Order: sequence, then C-alpha cells, then structure tokens
Amino acid sequence: MGTREVISTGNELSALAAKDAGCTFFGGYPITPSSEVMHEMSDLMPAVGGVCIQMEDEIAGVAAAIGAGMAGVRTMTATSGPGISLKAENLGLAQMAEVPLVVVNVMRGGPSTGLPTRVSQGDVAQAKNPSHGDYKSITLCAGSLAECYTETVRAFNLADRFMQPVFVLLDETIGHMHGKAMLPTEEEVRDGIVPRKSFDGPAEEYFPYECEHDQPAVLNPMFKGYRYHFTGLHHDKKGFPTEEIETCRKLIQRLEDKVELHKDEIESNEEFFIDDAEILIIAYGSVSLAAKEAIRHLRAEGIKAGLFRPITLWPSPQDRMRELGAKIPKILVVELNIGQYRDEVQRSTGRLDINGLFKVNGRPISPYEIVNKVKEL
Amino acid sequence: MARNLMRFTGVGGQGVLLAGEIFAAAKIKTGGEGLKTATYTSQVRGGPTVVDITLDDEEIFYPYANDGEIDFMLSVAQVSYNSFKNGVTPGGTIVVDPNLVHPTDEDRKTWKIHEIPIITIAKEEVGNVITQSVVALAIANTMQKAIDKDALVETMLSKVPAKVHAANLKAYELGEKYAKEAMAK
Repeated sequence: MGTREVISTGNELSALAAKDAGCTFFGGYPITPSSEVMHEMSDLMPAVGGVCIQMEDEIAGVAAAIGAGMAGVRTMTATSGPGISLKAENLGLAQMAEVPLVVVNVMRGGPSTGLPTRVSQGDVAQAKNPSHGDYKSITLCAGSLAECYTETVRAFNLADRFMQPVFVLLDETIGHMHGKAMLPTEEEVRDGIVPRKSFDGPAEEYFPYECEHDQPAVLNPMFKGYRYHFTGLHHDKKGFPTEEIETCRKLIQRLEDKVELHKDEIESNEEFFIDDAEILIIAYGSVSLAAKEAIRHLRAEGIKAGLFRPITLWPSPQDRMRELGAKIPKILVVELNIGQYRDEVQRSTGRLDINGLFKVNGRPISPYEIVNKVKEL
Repeated sequence: MARNLMRFTGVGGQGVLLAGEIFAAAKIKTGGEGLKTATYTSQVRGGPTVVDITLDDEEIFYPYANDGEIDFMLSVAQVSYNSFKNGVTPGGTIVVDPNLVHPTDEDRKTWKIHEIPIITIAKEEVGNVITQSVVALAIANTMQKAIDKDALVETMLSKVPAKVHAANLKAYELGEKYAKEAMAK
C-alpha cells in the first residue's frame, strides 16, 4: 500500500496513473462510463507537454493512440465495451505489428449499446480475444480505487515489456465510486519505469522483428533514422509482407510465446482468508468488494469462506487455480455476466462442479446475495 | 462510530452528486473512511438518480448501501422517492421537499418523515438554486450527526468556487436551522 492519500474516483485515478507513468498521448472518443478518464487526461496531458485528442469516432481514437505508440511515446485510449467492438480491428493491428498501448475499458451492460450507465463485467471474454487471429491478451482488472491507479501503471510497463496492447478493465462501479486511495508516490512510479527496448547500432543492421522465439519486437521510434515497415500482414524481419512458410509460422508462434512463456512476469492475484477456506469464492473487479464484505459476515457465523481474486485476468492464473481447486471442496464464481470467467475456472481446475452467482441486469451483486448463495451450497 | 448509511435521491441534473462527494471527503479528512457511489439512468435529465454515502471508521469494501439498512434518505423528486424509499430501514429518517414529493399515510407510519422545502430555501432564501445540495448536506449532517460540522464546512468550501463561498455558507446555516426546527416538531 502506498503512502500518498488521494480522494478521487477510479476513472480519474486511472488517468492520473497514466500521467505519472509517463504517458504523453491520449487518443479517444468519450463514452459512458469511461468519459471521465478522457476528461481528466484533457487536463493532465497539456500540463506535461503531452497531447489529448478527441477523434471523430472510437476507431480513429485507437488509431491515433497506436500512431503515437509507433512514434515511441507511452500512449493510451479509454472506452467501454461498444468502443472495444469498434476498435477491434485496430487492436489486432497493434497485436500483429507489436505496438505498445494501454486500453482502459470501463465495463457497462452489453451486448451492443446495452445499459450505458450500469455496471457489468460482460467484456471479460471480449478482452481475451477482441480481434481475430492468434495472440495472447494481457488483461488487468482493478478491484479497488488504489488498483485503478497501480494497475494502469503496471499496464504501461507491461505494454513496453511485451510490445502489445494491454487492457485495464474497470467497471462502472469502480470507475465512478469516490473515496480514498493510498497510492505510491510519483517518484516511486517513475523509478519503476523500464523504457521499451531500442536498437542503437547502424541503421542497415536494424531488423525490428528479428528476435528470440519468446521475445517481442524491438521497435525504434519512427523519424529517428531507423526505417522499417508496419503492417497487419504477416511480415519478415524488416516488417515487409511475406508468405514465406517458416517466417509466418514463427511470427505467430512468437506472438503467443512472448506472453505464454513469461506468464510469471504478468500474473497477479489477491488471496483473502484462503488458508483454512472450505468454500472458495472467485471474484474480480468491483464484485470482489461485495465478496469481501460477504466473507466478513460468513466468517462471523463460523462459515469458512475465502476469496481468490485474479488481478491479471488474462493470461489466467491457471496453475494457482488448479492448486486451489485440488484442495477446496466448494467453489463459487461470482461475476456480472453469465459465467465468462467460470469457463476459465472450469478449464483451469479441470472441474465441472464450479458454482456460479451471476447477474446481467446492470445492478451490482450485494454481499447478502453472496452470503445466501454460499449457504445454499 | 457505527456505519452511517445515507442516500440522496433526485433526478439527473439537480446536483445531488456533490453532497455525497463532500461527505465522503470530509469523513476521510477526519481520519475515517468514506465512499460515495451514484447510479443514474442514461437520460440526460429527469431520470431517477441515487447517491449512496457510506461513512465508517473501519475499512469499507462494498460501496453501495444495502437495501433495508439505510438510516437516512433525502429526496427531492417523487419518481426517485418511490423507487428508493424501501431501502430505508423501518423507523429511519426521510427528508422530502414537500413541493416535489408527497409521501403516503402508510409511509408516515413506517418512517420518520420530515418535510423541508429544500429547493425553495435555496432559490429564495439563499438566492441560488445550485446551493440546494449544500442545504441538503446541512440537513443530513444535522439530523445524522455524521461528521464534525467545522470539518464538513471546510471540505464543502474547498469544493465550490471562492465567489460562492458566502452563498454556500448561508445555505449550510439555513439547512441546519430548518433541520433543527423539523426535529423539534
């Protein structure tokens, strides 16, 4: 826990984190319930010599942010589910061309325009595969006001480490709730920044996509004398389109392996009263707050419930979930969708008896609903 | 202090959000925990809006007020009053603006209902309708004794522009006066 006390909302803390993490470009298009991220960035960016630009639509918003990433700066966009649907094609481009970018998604009810002002966690499956093709999503999910800040900071660092878009999932509740957050200082955040790799040898020896089988591309900023090509097509070491069989295979396998083989650098979870738990609740985002309150009530009645909260949703903490699934008899997944993460818990634990408490009417799940469900198990 | 749960309801555009933020911030500044959440509809204006305020000395996890546990509700719109009154614990306190909200006889048996013309006070006695959220803040704090008045007023003044400090101070004093009169009845 940090030492800097800030009273704010989740959306505003996410914007503050971006600024503190060295972000100097925001491209987007305001949409409920994420708009305050952009409002705040429009104040913060000019003050640090950065740019916040409202584009003509969601697609252009992410395109501008990707362009800034190509130019070498830390860059972000923010939206909600309908915006991700529109941005999907360009997010695929950023995966393929390996452009680092932070995408904040403040989830609301879907599908389509859904319930604009209401809470949901319906974009969890979308975050895993927003675009077609094979790649590994990195998706972080804030479960407190402080994490709206710290996970946004972490997203910037992971984007530069793995050279790809990183999602930060908030939800309407956590994005709009207003209260106290204990944050690391700006200096601590700055000290934790590892800039993305660059090549400083002779320009004619620079091949941005020629890298180890499990490492990301090394993309020098544009306009610095190092020429290469950006494309969504399968490409060679210089970035030019190719259909050469081995080059194509290696490229896509590398997009997978650069994340899959380094999951330990990405995984992050919270465990709350797990040690003696006989009933395991799995929840993330704002729902985990209701789960913690429920566990207080259940423990007071002598029911040994505990919470496992994935903070990194993708790649999922499958090894830890398998361990917990092997020793805790009853598991309940609580989420504001119809089991999008329960599927992953089933897959990870190899168990099909995973219980669910789901809600999709735009209203939060209360601690009492969780208490009652646990007692039924 | 035990947990204090308050709910402010109105319709979009009335500015009921600000009072919640002031409460939460003032509680945090005095060393406690405070959270504000708001739910509203996608209508720009006129949709029912509810602000939940949770104040506690312990860490607060779940940020909404559980229905049935709310100690105090203030309402300045009939549609919101109807939608949210059942969240108030029986015997709890409800303040309504009598020009805008008309509780039933049954309601008056269930809750302690006080009628204070909040909007009229702001508009005519303070002279600025925007100050209604501060009138509401003063009423809630006077009735609930939630937070030290000086700390609340100081936080309130830090959230409004300097040029309207005097009007908002007046709004607070009037809210307090009307609340005391209503409680004495």
